[in-house]
Amino acid sequence: MTTAGQAAPADAAPDVKPTIHAQRGRQLGTFAGLLALCAILWAATPHFLTVSNLLNVLEQTALNAIVAMGMTYVIISGGIDLSVGSVLAFAGIGLALALEQGIPAPLAIAIALGMGVACGLVNGTLITLGRLPPFIATLGMMSVARGAALMLAEGRPISGFSDGFRAIATERVAGVPAPVLITIVIYAVAHFVLTRTVFGRVTYAIGGNEEAARLSGVPVRAYKTAVYGVAGLTSAAAAIVLTARLNSAQPTAGTMYELDAIAATVIGGSSLLGGEGSQTGTLIGALIMGVLRNGLNLLNVSSFLQQVVIGVVIIGAVLVDMSLKRRQR
Amino acid sequence: MRSGVRWGTVALAMLALAAGCNRGTSTTTSGAPRVAFVMKTLNHPFFLDMQRGAQEAAGPAGVELVVQAAEREIDVEKQVQIIENLLQTGIKALIVTPSGSREIATVIAKANRANVPVVVVDTRVDPKAAADNDLKLATFIGSDNYEGGKIAGEHLAKITGGKAKVAVLEGIPGHETGDSRLRGFRDAVATHPGMTIVASQPANWERDQGFTVFQNMLQAHPETDALFACSDLMALGALEAIAAAGKSGRIRVVGFDALEDARKAIEAGRMEASVAQSPRDMGRIAVESAAKLLKGETVPTDQKVPIALVTK
Repeated sequence: MTTAGQAAPADAAPDVKPTIHAQRGRQLGTFAGLLALCAILWAATPHFLTVSNLLNVLEQTALNAIVAMGMTYVIISGGIDLSVGSVLAFAGIGLALALEQGIPAPLAIAIALGMGVACGLVNGTLITLGRLPPFIATLGMMSVARGAALMLAEGRPISGFSDGFRAIATERVAGVPAPVLITIVIYAVAHFVLTRTVFGRVTYAIGGNEEAARLSGVPVRAYKTAVYGVAGLTSAAAAIVLTARLNSAQPTAGTMYELDAIAATVIGGSSLLGGEGSQTGTLIGALIMGVLRNGLNLLNVSSFLQQVVIGVVIIGAVLVDMSLKRRQR
Repeated sequence: MRSGVRWGTVALAMLALAAGCNRGTSTTTSGAPRVAFVMKTLNHPFFLDMQRGAQEAAGPAGVELVVQAAEREIDVEKQVQIIENLLQTGIKALIVTPSGSREIATVIAKANRANVPVVVVDTRVDPKAAADNDLKLATFIGSDNYEGGKIAGEHLAKITGGKAKVAVLEGIPGHETGDSRLRGFRDAVATHPGMTIVASQPANWERDQGFTVFQNMLQAHPETDALFACSDLMALGALEAIAAAGKSGRIRVVGFDALEDARKAIEAGRMEASVAQSPRDMGRIAVESAAKLLKGETVPTDQKVPIALVTK
């Protein structure tokens, strides 16, 4: 490829409007899937469609949804982040140690968020400057952050926090649990940034065609590094909610969360090849997983079969999504 | 909207599969009160035995038993979610083997608020976490793990004549059961000046990690001539590492749990002993206690299940 043509300015990054438009149709499909799932559960068990159970499902979905929103940025940019679960544990331990030292909660939370972002930026730097494949860089970070969490905590869970801090998980506003409200706020911000800002457009552009983005003058390295920083940030945010919810930070927390987050993102219509995806889709994807787990518990399906069902749903969702995509072309 | 239809079909097929072919672990007695038993995991022989004991007791006790567990033993958050979901179904009593002795407190508080009596099995709820959350725990059923560790230590001292270089395989750090066994073992060893612990590392309750961790220990401490593993799965893994190193018969191994495979190894002389708990009794007593609580009868707050040493 030659660079004969003049580089276009950054704000002329490939237009993403058509993609977003096509995605809206697919989001409807995913949403219909969620509704169908709810309808079936409503018919199958009287315990599903109650206000307390629905709030319960939303609360349980919160963690995965928050992590998956950072993951969505990474996946749209054409990357992958396997370290989110470990970074969650690392940030959670940092938070707990800070609280244990008597550091005020807002500052402790800031420390945890900082730790998450730092891990993400290291990932991003390894990928951009170190030219490591995202899979390898974040696989390494997965192990490093987990080990660091275990070292900091000396292998033990750290627990017992003030009621003020725990309000992050226990407080209810008009009956709605705080983690649900936190998720809604994070979703709103993540959605806005992805669809209405240069950062969002560049994320799509990098995932769609990195070379083209570079040639049109986008500082790809800086943006790409920042994308992983965002994933670290949402992991840390989830760590805060989890720590408040369990009143304890465990160095083993978040194991396999990366896979749940990737699953929610992919069910939500993001392509692992990059350039496609949306926060709304991811939110619906996370809800599908949450509702499914909840429903399978309510129906008293054995935990072994639950794993089979969830696996089949992930594969089924992507199969359907891909066939829809083909039809759109 | 075609997509919606297709999605619906997929979801419908899934649930038909789920709801149809598996009501699995529920022992149904129509009209009987539903009792939920939430275990740490269902992929460990110890908990499968406990499940069997519980199911055998459910019929005679007149309760409908529901057994569920998280996919992974260390996943407290998932266990919490399962309990929350079961509370939604209007269970009348909750039996739980906590995956985290402190983390479980928040969801037990929820059960308390729903007036569901809580029976704790195998792993205690951390006393401080229980006090902080003002928990009401009807009864605890379990072995005295500290005593078990001590018995293991004393036995090892006896068979080595009080002189040994001991390696220890620990469970997941922070687990009350493993920590108690470890304390008991260390306290017993401390009374024998000829015995020293040369290495002590976690192998996270797992067989394959028992193999690799002990293999590494043998590299670092070739003089090791005795091993205490806080669970049999880890001990069994270590036995293979001993065989691979050509040291079979030269390292005396004591495990914990007296699993079927471990009993065979003891019979074959590859392993010295294992501390036997009775998971089946635990499951049975737990269900019987829950049934009594539902009838308004009282049960002792602490029910010890006997521990014994299995030797050849």
